[in-house]
Amino acid sequence: MNPLGIGFAYTIAATGSDNPISFDLTYFAMIFSFLILVWFLAKYAWKPLMDMMEKRRQFIEDNLAHAEQERNDAEKIRLEYQEEMRQARSEAQSIIESAIKISEQQAAEIIVQARKENERMKEVALADIGRERDKAITDVKAQVADMSVAIAEKIIRQKLDMTGQEALIDQFIQEVGDKPC
Amino acid sequence: MHEMILWQVGNSTVHGTTLVMTWIVMAAIIIFVRLGVRNLTSGKPGKFQNILEWLVDFIKNLVSENMDYKKGSPLLSYLLTLILFIFFSNMLGLIPNLVGPFLHNVEFAKLNQIFGGPVLMSPTADINTTMGLATLTIILVVYLGIKHKGASYFRHFIEPNALFLPIHIVDILSKPMTLAFRLFGNIYAGEVLIAVILMLPGLYVFGGVIGPMPIWLGFSIFIGTIQSFVFTVLTIAYVAQAVAHDH
Repeated sequence: MNPLGIGFAYTIAATGSDNPISFDLTYFAMIFSFLILVWFLAKYAWKPLMDMMEKRRQFIEDNLAHAEQERNDAEKIRLEYQEEMRQARSEAQSIIESAIKISEQQAAEIIVQARKENERMKEVALADIGRERDKAITDVKAQVADMSVAIAEKIIRQKLDMTGQEALIDQFIQEVGDKPC
Repeated sequence: MHEMILWQVGNSTVHGTTLVMTWIVMAAIIIFVRLGVRNLTSGKPGKFQNILEWLVDFIKNLVSENMDYKKGSPLLSYLLTLILFIFFSNMLGLIPNLVGPFLHNVEFAKLNQIFGGPVLMSPTADINTTMGLATLTIILVVYLGIKHKGASYFRHFIEPNALFLPIHIVDILSKPMTLAFRLFGNIYAGEVLIAVILMLPGLYVFGGVIGPMPIWLGFSIFIGTIQSFVFTVLTIAYVAQAVAHDH
């Protein structure tokens, strides 16, 4: 039996069973056995094994992608925080600036008011002083008049009739009052 | 070296020793692989799963280095089985025959004669095995060549011109021949030498612990590994040649 139809192999095989190079049905049996082994292992071993390896590859890939995603998220949050911080700082700065401006305005207003008040009080004081002076003058006039009358009375008691000289005294006092003192 | 035991099938014969040893190898491979895929996990793999994954990665790399990976990936199962089968076959010839004493009365299927030698036999030490595997390789080459390139696959037979047709025919016939005889020759010669060493006087005195036997066994392990690798790599290379686009 020579399934390959190769001449020299046939010659060698024909020389006897001791010859190591002899073809027979073993050739087909081996091909058949090996194909069965390939089929069996492919179905029950290699396919599940490779699926598992693929699954692991997928798993690692997913993990890496996930980690990358998280890293990006963290970076984004960090940038957001930075931005917020920057805004808060500038807000605080503007608040302080406006407070300073307001306080400066208020201070200026207070000073202006104080000046006005001061002015007003000075005027009031001046008016008071003027009034007091007038009052004092009036008092002094009255006292002077009384004292003049008393003095004149003493001086001229004997000569003048008090009642008859009233007009003369008034005239006298009038003259005194018109004089600036 | 074994005396080949023949089984009569109709008016033809098969090599009983080779077949029995092949079945042992197949059983061993199935057990070995079964250990690896028993507790498949995508998490932390066990020892055997790790070995299998290493093997898968190894073959995957070989394929993707030699050809377009998309064209090669359907071959992975075949190539993995091929390298495992040849490796286990080569190693079987180095294993002492421990079951022989229990079978020396069993006449069924001439098992007493099949397990009559001092060591088991490599199925790859039979030219039928290696030629069968090489035939599958060349069928694969032609099939994939036609599948990926259509009728234009046959154009390479007459390139650069029709005068080269005989050379291309010799080329495609010599590929399986070299594959088969390289593997067969290496392993058969190894078995012959083991048989010769076993015939050396005084070997049994030292129990085979010192002397040529362990050295030769170690070298045979090396050769068996290399040959399984070579056969697989050449199969990949031939397929890659057939499916590659013309430049």
